[in-house]
Amino acid sequence: MSKGFCLEVKGDFACFTRPEMKVERVSYDVITPSAARAIFDAILWKPAIRWRITKIEVLNPIRWANIRRNEVAHTASPKSKGIFIEDSRQQRAALLLRDVKYRLHGEFDFIPPEKRGKTSNPVPEWLVDAAEFDDLQKLDVRAAETEAKYAAMFERRAKKGQHFHHPYLGCREFAADVRLVDPSREPVTPIAKNDDLGWMLYDLDFSDPANIKPMFYRPEMKQGVIQVPHPESEEVRK
Amino acid sequence: MILQALKEYYDRKAADPDSGIAPPGWIAQKIDYMITIDETGNMVGGLERLREKRGKKESGWPCLVPNVGKQSIKHNNSGTDANLLWDNCGFVLGVGKRGEKKQEAFLAAASLFTNRVPDLGAKAICQFIEKARTDPSHVDPILKHPEWGVEIGTGSPTIAFHLHKDDPNSAKFIFQRRQVAEALSQSSEQEDKAEACVTGLCILTGETGQSIPLCHTVIKGIRGAQPAGATIVGINKDKTAFCSFGKEQAANSPISKTAADAYTKALNYLLNSTQRMQVGDASTVFWSEKKTDFEDKFAMFFSDPPKDNPDQHTQAVKALLDAPITGALPSEDLDAGKFFVLGLAAPAKARISIRFWIVSPLSEMQEKIRQHFRDLEIICPPYEKAIYSIFRLLLSTAARSEAKNIPPNLEGDTMRSILEGLPYPATLLQSVIRRIKAEQSLKNKKTGKSVPHISYVRAALIKACINRSCRFKKYKPEEELAVSLDPHNMNIGYRLGRLFATLEKIQQAANPGINATIRDRYYASASGTPAVVFGTLIKLSKHHLAKLKEGWRIHFEKILQEIIGGMNGTVAFPPHLPLEDQGRFAVGYYHQMQDFYPRKEKQD
Repeated sequence: MSKGFCLEVKGDFACFTRPEMKVERVSYDVITPSAARAIFDAILWKPAIRWRITKIEVLNPIRWANIRRNEVAHTASPKSKGIFIEDSRQQRAALLLRDVKYRLHGEFDFIPPEKRGKTSNPVPEWLVDAAEFDDLQKLDVRAAETEAKYAAMFERRAKKGQHFHHPYLGCREFAADVRLVDPSREPVTPIAKNDDLGWMLYDLDFSDPANIKPMFYRPEMKQGVIQVPHPESEEVRK
Repeated sequence: MILQALKEYYDRKAADPDSGIAPPGWIAQKIDYMITIDETGNMVGGLERLREKRGKKESGWPCLVPNVGKQSIKHNNSGTDANLLWDNCGFVLGVGKRGEKKQEAFLAAASLFTNRVPDLGAKAICQFIEKARTDPSHVDPILKHPEWGVEIGTGSPTIAFHLHKDDPNSAKFIFQRRQVAEALSQSSEQEDKAEACVTGLCILTGETGQSIPLCHTVIKGIRGAQPAGATIVGINKDKTAFCSFGKEQAANSPISKTAADAYTKALNYLLNSTQRMQVGDASTVFWSEKKTDFEDKFAMFFSDPPKDNPDQHTQAVKALLDAPITGALPSEDLDAGKFFVLGLAAPAKARISIRFWIVSPLSEMQEKIRQHFRDLEIICPPYEKAIYSIFRLLLSTAARSEAKNIPPNLEGDTMRSILEGLPYPATLLQSVIRRIKAEQSLKNKKTGKSVPHISYVRAALIKACINRSCRFKKYKPEEELAVSLDPHNMNIGYRLGRLFATLEKIQQAANPGINATIRDRYYASASGTPAVVFGTLIKLSKHHLAKLKEGWRIHFEKILQEIIGGMNGTVAFPPHLPLEDQGRFAVGYYHQMQDFYPRKEKQD
């Protein structure tokens, strides 16, 4: 549990793709907690923290746009010889959101060193010296490993506009404009809309890397505000 | 939201016994041929053809048939997914590719069923098939039929059985026999071996532990899709670009079998009913949360009326427009919940793309449609029809009024802007004005007379575009265009349009019977660059006025004075008019022209 942060994000286009219409993309009506977490992660993420979204406020009315784009049918990978676009070009239509603006409230959970997962990209064996071997097995305990450290890091980075990669709204091509705000100093009224948004993707459960499972929840938007439940609560179905 | 709303529609319809939608375990299909057999599996009587002309096309006998899986709409390529107690000729008679395998599968399915439910009719079918396999001449009367043998030999017509002692009214087909039908309705979903499934969470209902099929049933009836049917949720087995986290096919979007059945049946039902219309390339379906009259009338607001009842749509629109005044809205419509409109297209033949999805409370939807018609209202010449469908509206923007010249996407975007209350697409205003300028000298090919380039439809469209975008920005009442001639409108474009119309009328009055007026030569430049042209036009008008008799001259001069006097102190004509003002020019021209032709007041 840490103190919460509020990010105001806005963008020209957004596409939070529905899993059932993945190919001809159709977006959800509002941002998913998964995409919101990705924005926080873009600013700061370390194995010591895990972001959790608590509240989403919708500030702009929900508007749609239908665009048709050229896409490719193959996935790029280091093993392949490259994608020859002429052979795999496909035109696909997408139903996206236009002119979105949200206030995302999130907090991070501090994970003590013993509980952190193993790195999935360790130093290769032939690079490890015998002398270092013991050191590498030890836990990552540093001095002053506290929550406040990471909170301060995040606040500093968010204020300066630093990020690991540019935050995006659902798909990488829809870049987001992100700004750290203090809701008590800059209050804002969300849209006056009540809606039952149906079952939406909450996030993905990475606890078992071999079988990553999606989690769903059923948000209720009351006057433009969505209270996002805790991932371990009953409202989130796995 | 979309699939969920469709599933809820299915639940509503399935609960209503009169709806005609297929309950779980059954599906609506058409049977082409019928074989009558007795209890030992021998054929009795001849083959009967049920395929006849219903409406425009020939089709089979429509009825509810047992539905044990997706093969009831479309078979896969394995040849082992047979339907139960009915199927196409390839499966029942073993003709065509993999015919032997198919017939085996059909027999296996029927035998499995007979073991569970020892019904006379089902047993008879099994015996018929067994006899056909041991002795091919058993089915000679069918395969070698003089008239229909060839069609049957292709393997595609559907065929079903009738037990000869059954009453054809109550049990036309064996699967309609009471014992069989009850057993089928009660049986839980039979897991088809050919169909792969995983267990997981269903994203439509939120329940865990559901069996998730990897392929969904196809949707038929979307224009432009392949005739065998297309899917909404569909990922090819080997197209890894669309798979995530190692999941295959539809496991990427887990939907349980019952929910998948429900939404596909609902969509197929809607596409086959009157609750659909075509908007450009998008087949559109619409429904409301609870049963309402509005569902049935919705199509009338936007499509062309049937030839035998051309006023039907005009009346529906009038009723809608008058409803708030006369209070004629039925009370059920007031709390009918939401109204859904779904536009589907198939740019890739086998996959459906969602063009638009609009949800809004019923009363808001009605209000938005009313607003659309109110925006289109403009003074109408007596020979014109008052209400036009979207297609006709857009046809007026196409070169030579040919449908293929309508800019793509325009119909879908216009429909969306109507239902969401947004301004019309910018392309619409542009297209209309471009057409008007291009047709300034259009003549009727037969009579040689001028065709009015600013027709009623075009003027209505321009007025609607301008008024809607006016309202969307900061609203200034003086910027809105009125229904008929508005002498108080000070906008320079509007006034210039009126001026141009008056000058043309003066020319026509001075030279009666003239074929080419200033409209033919100068309209486009007067509309786009007034400063260049109006000097010449006014100079010309002096000569025309001189030819007129005193009374007419004074009359026209008064009108000219009134128009020019209201041009608000501008010293010179503007060198260039922006697009919106060119639109106002066109509407001003139209209003003034209509005003020159007195019309009899209709006695209400």
